[in-house]
Amino acid sequence: MTHRSQSIAYPYFVVALLLFGLQVVLGLWLATQYFVTVPQSIVDVFPFSTARAMHTNLLVLWLLLGFMGATYYLVPEETGTDIAFPRLAIVQLVLLSLTGVAALVGFLFGWTQGRPLLEIPMPLDFLVVIGALMFLFNVAVTLFRANRWTAVQGALLGGLVFLALLYLIGIPFYRNLAVDWYYWWWVIHLWVEGAFELVAASMTAFLLIKLTGVERKVVEKWLYVELGLFLFTGIAGTGHHYYWLGAPEYWLWVGGIFSALEPFPILLMVVDTWRDVKHRTQPMLPRLTWVYLVGGVIIHFVGAGLFGMAHTLPQVNYYTHGSQVTVSHGHLAFFGAYALLNLTFFYLAVPRLKGIKDGVYDERGGHAGFWLMSLGVIGMSLAFAVAGVLQSYLERYQGQPYMVAQQPIRLWMAIAAAHGVLVVAGVFVTIWHLLTLKAAPPASARIVAGPASAS
Amino acid sequence: MSVKAAKWVFWLGTLSSLVLFLVLTVDTHSQFAVLTHTDKLDDTVVAGKRAFQNHNCNDCHTILGFGGYYAPDLTRAYSRLGEDSIRRRLEHPEVAFADSYRKMPRQNLTKPEIDTITAYLQWVSNIENHDWPPQDSSTRWRRSTERMLAAAALSPAAALVEQESCLNCHALGDRGEKKGPRLEYIGTRHNAAWIADYLADPQKLAPGAEMPDYQHLSAGQREMIGEFIAALGAARGGAR
Repeated sequence: MTHRSQSIAYPYFVVALLLFGLQVVLGLWLATQYFVTVPQSIVDVFPFSTARAMHTNLLVLWLLLGFMGATYYLVPEETGTDIAFPRLAIVQLVLLSLTGVAALVGFLFGWTQGRPLLEIPMPLDFLVVIGALMFLFNVAVTLFRANRWTAVQGALLGGLVFLALLYLIGIPFYRNLAVDWYYWWWVIHLWVEGAFELVAASMTAFLLIKLTGVERKVVEKWLYVELGLFLFTGIAGTGHHYYWLGAPEYWLWVGGIFSALEPFPILLMVVDTWRDVKHRTQPMLPRLTWVYLVGGVIIHFVGAGLFGMAHTLPQVNYYTHGSQVTVSHGHLAFFGAYALLNLTFFYLAVPRLKGIKDGVYDERGGHAGFWLMSLGVIGMSLAFAVAGVLQSYLERYQGQPYMVAQQPIRLWMAIAAAHGVLVVAGVFVTIWHLLTLKAAPPASARIVAGPASAS
Repeated sequence: MSVKAAKWVFWLGTLSSLVLFLVLTVDTHSQFAVLTHTDKLDDTVVAGKRAFQNHNCNDCHTILGFGGYYAPDLTRAYSRLGEDSIRRRLEHPEVAFADSYRKMPRQNLTKPEIDTITAYLQWVSNIENHDWPPQDSSTRWRRSTERMLAAAALSPAAALVEQESCLNCHALGDRGEKKGPRLEYIGTRHNAAWIADYLADPQKLAPGAEMPDYQHLSAGQREMIGEFIAALGAARGGAR
């Protein structure tokens, strides 16, 4: 930590982590409902749909709070100045957290806009917009006052503004279902394969500069190339969601071709990270942070790149669209691309925010958290994938009715849920580890002989 | 690669993709009216969409393939289940799914809500979306008709289906009405004996259904119809 105002990041991380914990518990309950018959009396009070709305909105909220915290940590170091209005940042956190709680409680009582992932009712949408405006204002004023622009900041601010603008498109009621989904994807797809990628690439670049000590010029040059490829494939690649919603046929071509290219920028990110790690000028300490960095990049590539590619071509997607195949891809991709990235950032920032010398924290417990979580999500995604392939074959290809085709899938959903238990355990260990982070005991601290960490 | 070249990659990549995307968006809008039949998109349908959203249906069901994967896709629910079956499910899900291993929450819908949701699902079922989903593909249904016509000459059961005017309520292939579930759908879910029982006394197996009983047929005739409909289910499958 080089600036006092960076400490705003910590409460953001704490709230994000607690929401993450709640998200995975609800996920386990969702998976359970696929293989256990829940009695009508419970279904009437707490249906699958409510739990799903909570599970997905918690994901979005904790990732965004993580990004925002990361921004408040990153911007002072990049600009060399403090955040313009530290108190406003705290007000913003309180506002967004309360809005989130209101939304979750509202869902329980059926207060919803009823569109998947964008269930938050309109009055709460406006509170989110106010929170986002506070955030953008605070960050923008800080950046413009400092007037020391780097590619990392540019990508970050660009991504955040893009993200906020797209949110607006998700607010109104659309009369036509096809038009509704058309713009729904402007929020969902252009977030995760556009704005989020900008934020993530910028955060990754910052992490690489801080952790490896590789020259900023090199990292930033590849950041431009990565972002160019991400946006080139990602923007027109939105078309892979337009195959079957009542849009013209050319989307089969545009969506198919552009999304076939989508793995390349992620692959480039893997290669860049690998190269920077190889050319590091700093010791690989603490090891856990590096495990997170490399693990995240690899699972991002497998989950988003490969699992996405597997069902993105129209010829395949005709049978897999809206099946558990999508679920498999979604879980692995979100975990690798955004959950692990946020956690990597927390592991960089939290020890420094806590004033642990050289950021070398006690790793015990953290490794168990990482492996439980990662192996759990990988196993879960593979089980979802088997369920999805079965569903595509039995329901879509053979033409069995939905519930008949679901019967053999129940086993695989139980296997997914068993892995979900590992995930929940891993997430709880990780939350506990991050929130009680201590300096490394002297024995391992002695290994730190090389140049000390930059911040 | 120089930093300058890298910046070029960024701007060229981003802007070219963005321009293509925006141009196609404008064009897509000009085609939505035809592809989604906006002339039929009246206030009743829109009210149905609102009710559909208010009850958060979309977080269990997919529609056009998007949403929760916990319950059947609703894109072609209207042409698969028919109006009466949809109403029965909306009115009393606890009865309609009493035997199911997955339940639908009671929605306590008002009569107008049920009317508008049904109208909404009817409108959705006509969206032209390259014949997705495959399990309800109209190319498939058309093949069922061809099979029935081929079978009618040989099978007295097919003749009975015609004679009893089953298609005045049920769909079969690309023929028939959409009041009850389509016969292929029944055939994939139930065996011949169940269908024969059902024909004898529909109220026993589906309380509240609008289906009349077929006591005037002999038990043997009901069994033949059962076998015919069950065979329709077995004959389905294969590619589009």
